[in-house]
Formats: sequence, structure tokens, C-alpha cells
Amino acid sequence: MTEPVMAGLGGAARKAGNRPWALAASGLLVLAIGLWANTAEAAAAQTDVYSTESSKAVKSLLLDVTKAGARLVAVGDRGHILFSDDQGKTWTQAKVPTRQLLTAVYFVDDKHGWAVGHDAQILASTDGGATWSKQFEDLAREAPLLDVWFKDTQHGIAVGAYGALLETTDGGKHWNDVGDRLNNEDQLHLNGIAAVKDAGLFIVGEQGSMFRSSDDGQTWEKLEGPYEGSLFGVTGTAQSRTLLAYGLRGNLYRSTDFGDSWQQIELKAARGNLEFGLASATLLDDGSLVLVGNGGSVLRSSDDGQSFNVFNRADRIALAGVSGLSEGRLVLVGQGGVHLASAQGAEGVQP
Amino acid sequence: MTRQEQFNMNQQQHHQDKATLLERLIFNNRPVVILICLLVSVFLFWQATQIRPSTSFEKMIPLEHPFIEKMLEHRNDLANLGNTVRISVEATDGDIFSKEYMETLRQVHDEVFYIPGVDRSGLKSLWSPSVRWTEVTEEGFAGGEVIPQTYNGSADSLDQLRNNVLKSGQVGRLVANNFKSSIIDIPLLESYPDPQDQGKLIKLDYQQFSHQLEEKIRDKFQAQNPNVKVHIVGFAKKVGDLIDGLMMVAMFFGIALVITWVLLYWFTWCIRSTIAVLITTLVAVVWQLGLMHAVGFGLDPYSMLVPFLIFAIGISHGVQKINGIALQSSDADNALTAARRTFRQLFLPGMIAILADAVGFITLLIIDIGVIRELAIGASIGVAVIVFTNLILLPVAISYVGISKKAIERSKKDATREHPFWRLLSNFASAKVAPVSIVLALLAFGGGLWYSQNLKIGDLDQGAPELRPDSRYNQDNAFIINNYSTSSDVLVVMVKTPTEGCSVHSTMAPVDELMWKMENTPGVQSAISLVTVSKQMIKGMNEGNLKWESLSRNPDVLNSSISRADGLYNADCSLAPVLVFLNDHKAETLDRAVKAVQEFADTHNKEGLEFLLAAGNAGIEAATNEVIKSAELTILILVYICVAVMCMITFRSFAATLCIVLPLVLTSVLGNALMAYMGIGVKVATLPVVALGVGIGVDYGIYIYSRLESFLRAGLPLQEAYYQTLKSTGKAVLFTGLCLAIGVCTWIFSAIKFQADMGLMLTFMLLWNMFGALWLLPALARFLIKPEKMAGKQGGSIFAH
Repeated sequence: MTEPVMAGLGGAARKAGNRPWALAASGLLVLAIGLWANTAEAAAAQTDVYSTESSKAVKSLLLDVTKAGARLVAVGDRGHILFSDDQGKTWTQAKVPTRQLLTAVYFVDDKHGWAVGHDAQILASTDGGATWSKQFEDLAREAPLLDVWFKDTQHGIAVGAYGALLETTDGGKHWNDVGDRLNNEDQLHLNGIAAVKDAGLFIVGEQGSMFRSSDDGQTWEKLEGPYEGSLFGVTGTAQSRTLLAYGLRGNLYRSTDFGDSWQQIELKAARGNLEFGLASATLLDDGSLVLVGNGGSVLRSSDDGQSFNVFNRADRIALAGVSGLSEGRLVLVGQGGVHLASAQGAEGVQP
Repeated sequence: MTRQEQFNMNQQQHHQDKATLLERLIFNNRPVVILICLLVSVFLFWQATQIRPSTSFEKMIPLEHPFIEKMLEHRNDLANLGNTVRISVEATDGDIFSKEYMETLRQVHDEVFYIPGVDRSGLKSLWSPSVRWTEVTEEGFAGGEVIPQTYNGSADSLDQLRNNVLKSGQVGRLVANNFKSSIIDIPLLESYPDPQDQGKLIKLDYQQFSHQLEEKIRDKFQAQNPNVKVHIVGFAKKVGDLIDGLMMVAMFFGIALVITWVLLYWFTWCIRSTIAVLITTLVAVVWQLGLMHAVGFGLDPYSMLVPFLIFAIGISHGVQKINGIALQSSDADNALTAARRTFRQLFLPGMIAILADAVGFITLLIIDIGVIRELAIGASIGVAVIVFTNLILLPVAISYVGISKKAIERSKKDATREHPFWRLLSNFASAKVAPVSIVLALLAFGGGLWYSQNLKIGDLDQGAPELRPDSRYNQDNAFIINNYSTSSDVLVVMVKTPTEGCSVHSTMAPVDELMWKMENTPGVQSAISLVTVSKQMIKGMNEGNLKWESLSRNPDVLNSSISRADGLYNADCSLAPVLVFLNDHKAETLDRAVKAVQEFADTHNKEGLEFLLAAGNAGIEAATNEVIKSAELTILILVYICVAVMCMITFRSFAATLCIVLPLVLTSVLGNALMAYMGIGVKVATLPVVALGVGIGVDYGIYIYSRLESFLRAGLPLQEAYYQTLKSTGKAVLFTGLCLAIGVCTWIFSAIKFQADMGLMLTFMLLWNMFGALWLLPALARFLIKPEKMAGKQGGSIFAH
């Protein structure tokens, strides 16, 4: 029952009938647009466009949430960056010089943070996420950056689609394309980057690709992973040299030796094995790990990732990011914006 | 009583006036007049029988408004946004995942398939093969039919069905959010091939279609499976219900006829003249209907009011005639003389009154909405017809049949005896009561003006505004709004680009911005367009990863991402609609949404990219509201100018004009306040009422003032003159007001909301206009008119012979 094309997509077919002409027309269209695509798409970079302030920002798509000291910072659709100083109860929208979808955010301390997103944009904040400036943008890539990591306020690495690997050593004043440090001939997407305790850096990506570096990203080693499908992210645990890689259809792998060997972690949901994609993970202050993903999946482990409790939220909403609150509670982001939740991920009070 | 004598002298002189050319022409050739009327009646009756209800969509909308022009220009590109009917089958016990429910759903689906007019290729329900589920796997997309080939109704297959539904993304669309009902989506063909002769196209008959849905779907399956409830919504169903509602109106006409008959008999005590008045008035209605058909108009829900109005106006003129003839008969030797004298006396004021009506109707022509124009033309034709039937044919007929002795006796007695009631009313003209009246009127005027600030433009209720909030259609509509993620109020913005331009990033990015701006506009629920689909598709192509839910700058990616956005762009990709779903269709909501789009268009329109307003039912309502809003004041001013000019011409007196027009102004203001109080908005249905109310309302003033003036000229003091006026014409005025009100008040019970609103407003305006004329006119006269100056003078009025 596997099909090459998508069928019956959500909002598409609200009132539309099946129209043969539409398919025929789009066939022609592919030809036609292919011919003059090069001339038509010389879109100028709009440098002075800021994200619009909206009360709906907190309820629209958000992709990542992290802590800047005690503050929560979340990024998402249309250049929305929101921060909260009261455990997620109220959120303030930051001034952000883009309207593009932002995919990831990373704070190295309570002041210095970076966010990456589509159009290969990199934004930086030096005031704990209240204001942002654009450090990098590359429209010609036609591709997004998907994750970012910083060692300190100077040295950082961003990864993205089609094998994008960017590095800065001056806090982002200059970003250099260092994609050739990876052995990634197929230009597979690099979906996530994380530091592993006492070991180094780890990148995962499309088709189960894995890369590791023991020298802060100067050289990279390609690994044969345990899985053929896409891995959406990677996270280090509280244990030395231990990490989790996760991806499509509930695939979760754990390594205790910086990726030399892997064990698949079985995930049992209410009706058999968990089949939803896993999007993001976080290491809480008490050492427990929380993963979130599609279908409202919230996974929690208190044994350093050897086993997980699986909870699927009733709303089945797709989740993309998670961070810890006080008393073990969670802040989840994804479709529908911010969701405050109990330690297991169940519905909490919404902002 | 020298004055009285003088007055009687005047009356005598009146009788000796020379017969006009017209009078001689008519009364010397009475058989010819009857014959001509008979022939015309036969012809027009034949025409009238062919008149059909018509509910042409285009006639209800302002065709020259820029929104509508743009919509019609791009009508073909928007084709499949329009005409669908949705049937929601509700499981009343438990949810849809039961064998019995799914079986009933399948049968409904199959039954609908064979109803003529259904676009079978687009028919969609859980049972359609085109409704599929998808998910992302390592190998790519997996997918299949929501109801698999292996479905057999067992618990296992129902469980599989539940999973497939969850994966299909149809929750909130084809399946209710609470899984207690599901929808069959039925696109319609405006015309379809005749099953007997494939070469011929049959136009979809909404009424018949609606009846088939009721019989073959609702009644049949609710009887067959008591655990389901069927809800049906859609334009075709609504129009079908509307036409059914129109049929009820015929019954109202019958009721109005009977009540009028009884009242008329009570008024005249003469069966002969009662029948004469009724028949000549019915002749007027037949002529009017016949002429409407002859000039090519149908009978729509608005112009349906016209026969009622014509009937009421005809009766009221007939009553004036009968009243006059009865009075004249008392000192005339035969029916013919009485009829001739009455004709001489009343033809001119009758003409003036009818002209005033017609003028009121004609002003409606400035509103650029087909149904209102047809109403204006139809009503003008109708009142013109009354000139022939009730001003000419009726006296001629009476000259043959005469008036019963009893009636003549009564009117003779009336003319001489004292009337305590009229005596009491005549105090309105007294020096003590008049100032109080004026103060009261001013207070009412101020209060009305203040309260009518709450008056809103447009339709205010949820659901289909044409039907009553508690009608079955609106209940069904509410069910679907509450249980599915849809709204029935859609504003469509058309994004126009050069050919093949709809899917480029420089088009899609601004469309995305527009959608976000709209979603941040209060009153907007959500917006969808090809951008919505594109983002979902790009996410899908990237393994369902939310990080990709954004427009791509890569033209190939963007282009393939919209391939499944059927109906959200046109054949050559030069037009893409943005569907903005609104909370309701209140005027503020529409205004805000339209303004937001206009602001956006002003800053983002450029060479090769235009954001055009508007289509969708909310777009049409927004356009209609704009037309109504701009016409409202113009109509009011115009109709008052016309009426005032008519009065000036008639009475050649500024004071007289004020006496007649000011009570009407008070009525208009109070009418607005009443609308605000009742929650009726100014809309296509209620705007004409203002003009109709004023146009017809002026009749009372004209009749009363013309009499009052003649008595004043005879030298009577104001209060006595007013008493005499009331004695001679007060009864007729009262009766006229009742007749008119009865004619239209049956409408209050119409199943069609706007007809009920029209009925209510007209009843109020007609009754209050009558009251205003009886109460305020003499009070104003007390201040504006100097009786001593008029006494004995030959006035400038055209009634002064």
C-alpha cells in the first residue's frame, strides 16, 4: 500500500472535487516554470522586515524552546521569538528582523543565544532573547538551517539541509561554510547537532547518517548507523559518552560509547509500538530525559534513556520542542504553539 | 351656522361643476370601458398564470459594485468554490464507528449519487475511494482508502477504520470533531445532461432538488435507521427552502383577502359594493402580475410583496371611492350621477396620492440591486394599474350596480349626526392639546434618533439570514458549524497574477502574509489558500518534519507542492483564491475583514500581482452592505424631496407641505429605532420599506389635508374644520390604514426571515403614518396655518376649482 505521492492532504480538499484538469495543468506547469525559473526568482533580501507582533504567535507553530538562565525562549513560524519569565504563563514577543520560519534556538548562557531558520538565517541575541539581530542569510541555498550549537560565546556550529555546515569562531560576526569537513557526498540533510559529555560533538541526519567529532568540529568522522531512515535529532545524556538518536516512526537508539555501538530502545504506546516520528529531546536538571514528537508523543526516562514511559496527548498535536519547568513540569511547543504540561506530558494550564 | 351654510353652498357648486373631458369620455362610453377592461384582464390573466417564482442569484447582488464585478469576471476560475450541498449523517447513539451507521452512510452515499444534478465525480464521503489516509514511512508515503477493500463491518475492521480516519486528516472536515457524525460532500452541476437525451442540458431546479433531498435522503433514512439524524446545508438547499417558503405567501394572500372582505363589509354594509371593490382590486393585482410577466420579471421573494401592496393600496382607494359614492348617493337621484360626481371629486386627489406612491417606489431604482429595482418597477406598474382599475373601472362598475339602500341610509345619517369619537379626536387641533402633542412628538423624535444609533447595516443573525434562526436549515447549519471546523461565512480574496504566476515564491509569500494578517484580524477564524496546502505538502515531502512547514524558494519544490491544491488555483495558474473564514456576517466583522484586505492590497499590489476583493458569501454581503449603506441616506433624502415637491405642487403651500411631511419624518425615525430594538439590520429587504412606507404614508396626509383645507377656506375655525374633516374622511383614513396594515402584516408569519422583517416594518410604518396624520397634522396646522387668512379665499391648491 505504499504510494509515491501524497493523497488527500488536509486543508487541500475542503471543497475541491477531483479535477483531472488540475493534475494535467500542474504537469504543464512544471514544464513551464522550469523554463523561466531562473529569471523569476531573483527575490531581493528584505533586510528591514521585522516579524509582526501578534497575540496569536503564542498559539501558532513553534519549533523549539530552550532556557536562557531562568527565562524560556521559544522560536517558530513567521520569525516569532517568544520569551517568558514566569514559567511559561505569559509570553512576550521579541523584536526579530525576519518573518521566516525559525527552526532551532540555543543559549550558551543567560544572555547569549542564537536562532537558525529558513533562508539559512542565523539570528543572535545578547540580551537573553529580547532583541535579535541577523548575522547570516543565504537565499541562494533555497534551504533552511535546522539546528545550532555553541561551545561558548565565540565558537558555534549550525547545521542544515543539503549538508549545510557553518562555523563561527567570533561569536557570529563571520560564518564560514565548512561543509567539506564532512564526508557527505549525497548532501544529505543534517537534522541535529549535540554535544556528548566527555566525548565531543555528534550530528545526525537523513537516511540514518551520523557524524562525530572529538575536536570541537575541526574534523569529522562518518559512522555507520543502526538505522536507514531519517534521524531528526540527537542528544547527550547526563552519563559520560552516552547519547540518544531518534527519528522516524518511533525509532530511538542509545549508545554508551559515543556512537560505536547502538541499542534500539523499545517504545510501547497504548496500542502497540509507537509509530510517530520523534522530533526533539531535552535533558532535564534532574537528569531525566524527555522526548517529544508527532501524534502528541511525550516520552520520559528517568534511567538515563534505557527505558521510556510513552504518553500520547489526547489532542494528538504534532510536537517539535520541549523544555523543563519547575517541579518536573514541561513546556511543549509545536503545532498550536505553547502547551504547558504535567511531568508526563498531559494537558496543563494553557498560556 | 352661517359658515356651515356657506360650506354647503360650496358643495352645491361642486356638483354643478362642468364634467371634464376625461369624465365625459369614460362615462359616456361605459360599455366600451368595461369591455376593454375585460379584454385586457383576460389577456393579462393568461400572462399572470405563467409567472414563476424566480430566485436568480444575480438579481440579489449589486452587479455594478467593484467586488461583484471582479467576482463575475473570475467566476469560471472560482467555479468549484460555489455550489455544494453537504449532508451530515449524525449517529444519535454512540459514534460513527458502528456497522449499522456505516451501512446507512453507504446507502445515503449511493442514493445521493443518483440524484439528478449531482456532480458524481466530486461526490465525497468516507465511502469515496478518493478519501484516503497517508503516513510517512522509511520508504516514502504510505496511503490507502479510508474504508479499505477488506472492510466487512467487524470489530477489527471498524478499529482499522478508526485509525485510518485519524490518519486521513478528515477530522473536522468529513468527520465531526466528536466522531458522532460524518459528512457527504456533494458538488452540484448548474446544468446537467438530460437522462433521456444526452445532448440536451437541464438546468438544476433547486426546489425539486431540495425536495428530493428531503424525500430520498432525510425522510427515507431517518425512517429506515432511527439511530441516525440527517442534517443538510448548502446554497441549493437554502434556495429550495426559500421557494417553499414563498408558496406559503399565497396562503397569506388568501387570509388577507378574507379579513379585508369582512372589514370592507363592516365598513360599507353593502355586499354589492364590497364585491365590486374586491373584484376591481383583484383585477389590479392580476394586471400587475400579468404585466410583470409580460416585461419579463419573475416573482422573487422581494417582489412578492408587490401584489400585497397593490391589493392594499387598491382597497384603500376603493374605500375612498365607496365612501364618496355613498355620500353622494344621499342627494343624487341615481347611481350613475353619484358615481360621476365622486369620480369628479376624487379622481385628482386619488391621482396625486398614487403619484406620490409611485414616486416613492421609483426612488428605489437608484439602488443597484436587481431585486429592489424589480420591486420598484413592479410596484410602479401596480399603482399605475390602480389608476385604471380603482379610479376608473370601479366608479363605472358602481354606476351599474349601485349601492344598497341600507348603506346610503347609513351614510346619510352619519353626515348629520354628532360623532363623539371624532369630536374627541378633533381636540388634537385645539390650542391646548397641540403644544403638548408637538412636545411629545419632539421627545419621540429625539429619543428615536438617539436609539437608532444602534441601528446596524446588514444581517445580524447567525446562519442563513434569509431563513428564520429557528428554521430547520439554520438548525442544521448550526449543527455543522458546532461539530466541524468550518464556518459558513467565507470571504474570498482573489490573487491575480500573469499566467503560470500563482505558484512562484514572489506570489506565495505575500499570500502567506495576507493570510496571517487576516488571521490576526478580529472576527476571522482562519484562512486557507494554496499556501496552506503547499506548506503541508512540503512538510510531507520532508518526512512530516515540522521544521519544513514553510514555503520553499525552490521553484520546482514550490510547484510540485501545489499539485494537489485542487480548486485553490485556476487552470492556467493565474488566479488563486484565499478563503477567509469569518465568525459571522455582521457588518462590523465584514468591514474589518474587508478593510484589512484593502490595506494589504494597497501596500502589496504591484505589476503582476493583484489582491482583488471579493467573492464568497461574505464578499457578496460586504458589497451589498456597502451599496445599502451608501444608498440608505440618499433614498431617504430623495423620497422626502419627491414627496415634498408633490405636496408643494398640490397645495402650493409651504406650511401644508410641512404639516404633511413632518409626521412622516417622525415615523421614519421611530421605524429606525424599532429596527434597532428588534435587531433588524438595514439590508436589501428593509431598505425598500423606508421608501414604500413614506410613499404610501403620504396618502393619509394628502386626503386629510385636502379636506381640512377646503373646510378652512369655507371659514371654519381650525378645530371645527378638523372635526368636519374627520367626519367626512376620518373613517376612510382609519379604514385605509387598517387595510394596508392587514395586507402586509400576514407577512410577519412568513417562513422567510426578511419577508417577516418587511412585514413587521411595513405594518408599523403604515399604522404609525396613519396615526401621525390624524394626531400630528392638526397639531402642526395649529402652529403653521392661519385659518383666518385662508377663510373665503380661493387657494392655490389644484383641488380648488
